[in-house]
Amino acid sequence: MATMMTTRQQAVPPEDAQYLTFTLGGEMFAIGILHIKEILEYGNLTTVPMMPAFIRGVINLRGAVVPVVDLSARFGRPSSEVSRRSCIVIMEVEVDAGAQDVGLLVDAVSAVLEIPASEIEPAPSFGARIRADFISGMAKVNGKFVIVLNVNNVLSVDEMVQLAQVAE
Amino acid sequence: MSLNLDQALQTFIAEAYELLEEMETCLLQLENNPADLNAIGAIFRAAHTIKGSAGLFGLEPVVSFTHVVEDVLDRLRAGDIAISRTLIALLLECGDHIHYLVDVVAVRSQQPDAAATEREAGLRQRLQLYRQTSVSEAVSASPGVSAVRQEKDSSFDLWHISVRFGTEVLRNGMDPLAFLRYLNSIGQIVRITTLADSLPELSQMDAESCYLGFEIDYQSDASKAAIADAFEFVRDDCQLHILPPHSKTEHYIELIKNLPEQATLLGELLVASGALTQKELEDGLQQQVDAELKPATPLGEILIEQRSVEPELVQAALEKQNQIQEHKSKESRFVRVQADKLDELISLVGELVIAGAGANLLAKASQDETLYEATSTVTVLVEQIRDGALRLRMVPIGDTFNRFQRVVRDVSHELEKQIELQISGADTELDKTVVEKISDPLMHLLRNAMDHGIESPAARQAAGKSATGVLKLNAYHDSGSIVIEIADDGAGLNTERILQKARERGLVAATAQPSEQEIYNLIFEPGFSTASAITSLSGRGVGMDVVKRNITALRGSVDLSSAPGQGTKVRIRLPLTLAIIDGFLVGVGDASYVVPLDMVQECIELAGDSKVAAEPRHYINLRGEVLPLVFLHQHFNTGGGQRRRQNVVVVKNADQKAGLVVDELQGEFQTVIKPLGKLFSNLRSISGSTILGNGNVALILDVPSLIQQLAQQQVQPRLASQTPALRN
Repeated sequence: MATMMTTRQQAVPPEDAQYLTFTLGGEMFAIGILHIKEILEYGNLTTVPMMPAFIRGVINLRGAVVPVVDLSARFGRPSSEVSRRSCIVIMEVEVDAGAQDVGLLVDAVSAVLEIPASEIEPAPSFGARIRADFISGMAKVNGKFVIVLNVNNVLSVDEMVQLAQVAE
Repeated sequence: MSLNLDQALQTFIAEAYELLEEMETCLLQLENNPADLNAIGAIFRAAHTIKGSAGLFGLEPVVSFTHVVEDVLDRLRAGDIAISRTLIALLLECGDHIHYLVDVVAVRSQQPDAAATEREAGLRQRLQLYRQTSVSEAVSASPGVSAVRQEKDSSFDLWHISVRFGTEVLRNGMDPLAFLRYLNSIGQIVRITTLADSLPELSQMDAESCYLGFEIDYQSDASKAAIADAFEFVRDDCQLHILPPHSKTEHYIELIKNLPEQATLLGELLVASGALTQKELEDGLQQQVDAELKPATPLGEILIEQRSVEPELVQAALEKQNQIQEHKSKESRFVRVQADKLDELISLVGELVIAGAGANLLAKASQDETLYEATSTVTVLVEQIRDGALRLRMVPIGDTFNRFQRVVRDVSHELEKQIELQISGADTELDKTVVEKISDPLMHLLRNAMDHGIESPAARQAAGKSATGVLKLNAYHDSGSIVIEIADDGAGLNTERILQKARERGLVAATAQPSEQEIYNLIFEPGFSTASAITSLSGRGVGMDVVKRNITALRGSVDLSSAPGQGTKVRIRLPLTLAIIDGFLVGVGDASYVVPLDMVQECIELAGDSKVAAEPRHYINLRGEVLPLVFLHQHFNTGGGQRRRQNVVVVKNADQKAGLVVDELQGEFQTVIKPLGKLFSNLRSISGSTILGNGNVALILDVPSLIQQLAQQQVQPRLASQTPALRN
């Protein structure tokens, strides 16, 4: 399913797709807006012990317990420092039993942009310093490159479960 | 339309299962009380309904087999044959076979396999003994037929059915063909003529309307009511005339007059079918014209006349009324609600509890007395709503218990033992999800008790006990949990043999002398079985460990007591609901954790000398007992500085005690359990989460797994002290 989604995204990008841009460790990233449910201010996070660093903890989202993934740690970088501008982006990801909400901890959200498909280059096979399968493309915004993330791979629940198992 | 039919099929399947279950219950009732006419009626109705609906979907194997069963039941109902143990056993088997057929044909849309066909043939043969040909009865059952015809004709014994389907039939999702197909299942259509007279010009024809009528000559030993029932679903929407075999000529003539088609055409048809001779037809038509008795007999009168001819039809109508009444009274007592709607409501109520607690907390902090009072009132109401909502999901365990009657009956026959099942506490209620999940473990335990526990009649008598073994199922509430007991009065557990087996398998060291209770617990170990012979029922050693695992998964516990020669008692303790537990809130660093309250024994302060002593050794002296400690700070590697004063929460799980070292004791707390989701599926020591009044998430400690981990750490203390460092 996940691979199907990616190929469709790459092959036929919607004409005027909208993306949310955010910063992480001084770098700019973008994610397709269709996966995003809401954006919350960082707060009231409960750490879950004995989990890998990229699983920051859980929050209470109106009665539902939602895990929060530290994106920076997921990229293999040091964990994000929480600042006044830290945000949790609530995303809907697909798992085998349906959809699950996962929060994404980012340093700051910037804007919602319309990026025409022509402005998005295919992902480079190396050089981006994050795993190639996390990148769905490189978008040119104001003359600068922004990494468009492949949400289904970045937030692959199956993979994260495996990593958590290894960590234990 | 195919979608509609699909849905209808699903309804049929669900209904059929329910009916079969009802049938089984009634049969077992009948076994105890053979004179129970209501039960016989219910069984007949169940079989009849299944047959009827199955015919509608063209489920041929189901219809044909159920028909035979129904025949026997009909005779049983009429009192022609007496109820007996063998007949009940046979009917039970038939019920199972129908269940299988529905399963195969309707659910998986396959054909029954060879083994099933063979089984069916066997059943049919045995049913035949009770059945006999009932053709003669069908004839004698229509005493109104006075004018017996003299001539012998090939079609003499045939029913004549005239049916004109209404134009709306197709639009209502009915297929005329299905009815004909069904007719063929309870008899045989000898001759059929399709009447397309009412078919309009092609240009005016509506493809979705039905214009067809059929004249059918039909051979069947079914009653008129049964044949009429075939058309039950379109009764309001068609013109139906059924003439029994040997009907009077006048009836045929009346029929002709009442049908929209031209008299000559129908007359010819009837003559062709042999129901009438040409002369009879002419005479009859002439007679009526001459006498001008009733120029146009109203349809109603004909029906009345037909009823007077067929007393069975009146009976069927009465029965139908009763059925409807019964149905109505059932409906008023129960409302069918989809389970997920209920779950949604309960999770909403859970949130309401949390939100209410939050509001209450704020009101308290604001020190506004009136506000605080108002929120307190709301809190009380919310708690009542929560209790009410949870009660919605509560079902009595009796239904599950009653299902075992059959199991006990069958297994005792198979084992050639005499076993009586005594049920008590059937009204005890517990959560529906728990009921569903406890059924399998209970089944295992019952089978075990029957196979290993209760001895053969001879052995029992030799031991001075009654030949009939007693198996008791009991359920009762006990301080926030439900206890289910399965007790037998059999031989009891042989501790020596268990110990010997355990030593053989290396479960117990050769020198160790475990306590009695420990020995009993051994039978819950994987792969453990003391039975010397493996039977189809038990003895393979799979089962008891699965039982234990299933019960533990429901946050329950199971223990066992036994007295040699007097029997064994298994006691299962389960939480009333899976959604809410009483928790004890503790603080560790910045985080809060919930310990299930029923596991908390006591709380003590860890200070002074005992603290100094505890740190390096990981245990303290609790009134002369050694109490191993878990420092949750270190175990979870949580942030935040250690407090100066620490407390120990003494928890107990299955005779094992441990002390959880925490910073703060925050008190009791009603906990709505929220699953953590797949991402945390590998997480041990944490069983779930809950939301506190202030909106924060607190994690629920999995005490059994914590204690287990502790035991492992004691084996490998060095490794354990290193792992937390590796984890982050």
